[in-house]
Amino acid sequence: MSLLTPLFLVALGALAIPIFLHLIQKERRNVVLFPSLMFLKRIPYQSVQRRRIRHWLLLMLRLGALVLIVLAFARPFLRRTDAAAAGGSGAREVVVLLDRSYSMGFGDRWTRALGAARQALEGLGSSDRGSVVLFASSAEVALRSTADSGRLQAALAGIEPSAAATRYGPALKLAGSIVGESALPRREVILISDFQRVGWQGAEGVRLPDGVVLTPVSVADGQSANLAVTPVALQRGFFQDQERVTITSGAINHGDEAVQQAEVSLEVAGRTIQTKRLDVDARGSTSVTFDPLTVSEPNLRATVRLGNDALACDNAFHLVLSPQEPVRLVIAERPGAPRESSLYLSRALAVGESPRFEATLRQADAVSAGDLEASAVVVLNDVPVPPGLADRLQRFVEAGGGLLVVAANRTTWPASVDILPGLPDAPTDRTTGRPARLGALEYGHPVFEIFRAPRSGDFSAAQVYGYRALKPVAGSRVLARYDDGAPALLERRVGNGRVLLWTSSLDLFWNDLALKPVFLPFVHRMVRHLGAYREPRPWRTVGDVVEPHASATPSPTPVQRVVLTPGGQRLPLDEEGADVLELTEQGFYEVRTTGRESEPPVIVASNVDLAESDLTGMDPKEIVAAAMGRAGAAAGADMAPPTDESQESAQRMWWYLLFAAALLLGAETLVANRSAV
Amino acid sequence: MTSTSAIPGARFVDPKVLARIGNLELVARSVVDGFINGIHRSPFFGASVDFAEHRGYVPGDDIRRVDWRLYARTDRYYIKEYEADSNSNFSVLLDVSKSMGYGSQGMSKLDYARMLAGCLTYLVHKQRDRVGFVAFDHDIVEHVPASAKHMEVVLHVLDRLVPAGPGSLRAPLHKMAEHFGRRGLLVLVSDLYEEPDAVLEAIGPLRFRGNDLAVFHVLDQAELDFTFTDPSAFEDLESGDQIPIVPDALAEQYRDLVRAHVAGLAERFSANRIDYTLVNTSTPLDHALFSYLSTRERLGRVR
Repeated sequence: MSLLTPLFLVALGALAIPIFLHLIQKERRNVVLFPSLMFLKRIPYQSVQRRRIRHWLLLMLRLGALVLIVLAFARPFLRRTDAAAAGGSGAREVVVLLDRSYSMGFGDRWTRALGAARQALEGLGSSDRGSVVLFASSAEVALRSTADSGRLQAALAGIEPSAAATRYGPALKLAGSIVGESALPRREVILISDFQRVGWQGAEGVRLPDGVVLTPVSVADGQSANLAVTPVALQRGFFQDQERVTITSGAINHGDEAVQQAEVSLEVAGRTIQTKRLDVDARGSTSVTFDPLTVSEPNLRATVRLGNDALACDNAFHLVLSPQEPVRLVIAERPGAPRESSLYLSRALAVGESPRFEATLRQADAVSAGDLEASAVVVLNDVPVPPGLADRLQRFVEAGGGLLVVAANRTTWPASVDILPGLPDAPTDRTTGRPARLGALEYGHPVFEIFRAPRSGDFSAAQVYGYRALKPVAGSRVLARYDDGAPALLERRVGNGRVLLWTSSLDLFWNDLALKPVFLPFVHRMVRHLGAYREPRPWRTVGDVVEPHASATPSPTPVQRVVLTPGGQRLPLDEEGADVLELTEQGFYEVRTTGRESEPPVIVASNVDLAESDLTGMDPKEIVAAAMGRAGAAAGADMAPPTDESQESAQRMWWYLLFAAALLLGAETLVANRSAV
Repeated sequence: MTSTSAIPGARFVDPKVLARIGNLELVARSVVDGFINGIHRSPFFGASVDFAEHRGYVPGDDIRRVDWRLYARTDRYYIKEYEADSNSNFSVLLDVSKSMGYGSQGMSKLDYARMLAGCLTYLVHKQRDRVGFVAFDHDIVEHVPASAKHMEVVLHVLDRLVPAGPGSLRAPLHKMAEHFGRRGLLVLVSDLYEEPDAVLEAIGPLRFRGNDLAVFHVLDQAELDFTFTDPSAFEDLESGDQIPIVPDALAEQYRDLVRAHVAGLAERFSANRIDYTLVNTSTPLDHALFSYLSTRERLGRVR
């Protein structure tokens, strides 16, 4: 006999109540009415005398009822042994889910996890089948459904924690698919993990098939003290025509005790150049700013490193520093154009810093091949384009360049070169009556995306007095229209490049857009879009997928690339197939082009997901409840040792005790009435 | 009307027998008659016909009041003047709190007090004073203004009194003091279950206004002697509080406390020239009245 809530036995002290009532019973029965107790109250109380209990039966009935009620609240049950409780028979299909996220490297968690996995596999019978699934942010099957215990044990050999974060959802789904395909009568999933809270984002749609039992095995040791480096922030500036970068990083303390004088160092190209010390409060974070660095060469490897603790992976943060590349462009004017025709355009482009724009002003007939090769974007500012230039621009665009055609009243384009979204037609004069205004904008397009939010730029404030009507060709896209529906900005993809066509001027000749606040961001966005500019990412996170060719120098011919992983492994990338690289390790990846060993490699910094460094645990029952549901829980009752709560709930002895107490109280009422007590 | 002579046996008439008759006016008269017949002189009688002084005659005076004897001696007209008739107010202030409903031998303290009030009122009414009545517990319950025609009203009110509510002296007596404009004779009938100082403080305003105060402290025999024997829970009639009591163990202490209480009251009332009479409801009413009135007359002579 065991009690689920033995503290209720304290209530047995209530047994004194009926005894006391029996003792004082006589005093309560004889009541003498007296005018005033004024004098009697002044006399010390002397009425307590020892009395005898006369109604023993009544007393026993009352005491018995009280004892039964107290016992019922204590919820007694008969504890069954685990062996007797575990029922079921037949062969088992067991899937061992082994967490190999980098947090398993904390202390001896990984050793204990391997031990638990081996123990689970050793428990398989000759007719049982087992699978081993390793998971972190994603899950992979190490060995699928075999009865060969040797292979199962071998599947656990040589594996180490990865650099990825924990996610239980994919692993449970994979386990569910494995056991779902099994025809064995008993199916079980054993989840071995440190059960971090960050790895469980709610149910995630995870639901094991009915009848599958999920058994959690926690290797968490209750310790969550961990110091981790925080992601860095870069601030760029220029000093004496050289770009300088200020790195700000810090440390976050996930423990309950403050850390004093933690050492944070900055390594560049493998050498420690700065070291700082900082104090971090419990459950707090502190930042530190290193002295500015001059960045003169691309792909400079830098690492912010924090002292050592039980979890080493989150003590280093890698990044790649490179000078910021400007967007180079050529602005072509017609010969003899007034000075102010490109004034607003060039002034607007001179303002940009992220990215910087390097604009070169040329007359249309002076645009050389070298200009095109050195530029990412060409702007034709109201230029009558001869066929020769049009041909060169076509090749330029097809190779990936960007072309912006500002089609004011003097623009012509040879019909033989079909790269424009439409051929400019006769000008439309809106100087009489109401001027035209920009109406429908494609806010989903990268050019207008930043103007999507309310009060983020009002294009309708600009007044347009003239524009070139045109008919969009097939394959082009109208990004903006005037209030009469005529296209204002069009785009067309040609080869690897893009062409934008603005049907009015970008000075004050045909409109006053250049005087409006939206002009500068509008021009910037057009050039960035045409130049396919991307913010350089100094670092990435394990699990990201990168396209090395996007970072490398464009090449007209297919090239072979080789990736050198942080672990020293060489991975060839197939140019014709899926040439993407999934980051699985922490450190620096090098991407080299075969045959161009003299070129500097492309460096990709890969960091662990720092959310994983928070070792705060969760209750495994939460995952079990979500994955199994009610039906699963009921089926699992046969397999797993039943809990005290479940045994007590099944036996319901409290109900019988309360019923007996009610019977005793009924008898007490009868006896009391007969004896008139 | 029952006319009993002044026989000594009238003092042995048991008040419980009188209570059974139920006609309060009749009971009051018979008792007073028997009492009056045994007393030769009433302390109230004839006090308003005493000669006061002579003054000179002025035109317009009634010539029947001229003292002719003095004219014969002095050859001047003088008018004889007498003390004014003291047509005074008389009111009984009767405590009708719940504790007054207690009675261990058939007649409650309130019944006894009603007879006491009726007798005194009848006595005073006969000497043509104006009679009034006030009943109170923690507030004023009944109020009959003093008047020469209110004898029957007072008896009627006495007949329908029921003990109810907790008792208190201070609030109702202070309120009464506001109403009694003329000085008069006030008789307070109560069991006085308050501290002596509190009682004196409660009747202070009545005394300060010049009223002649007399206090009848009505107690039951059981309250005085505490003759209970069985251990019981004693319940306060007014508050409902209960305390378990073993009478044998504390009867003596109780009696000491009651004696000290009565002594304290007597001392304080005496010091303040207030007539105080302890009345045991087990003694015949005529005896109690005789004791009081004779003492008052004796003290009146001393004064």
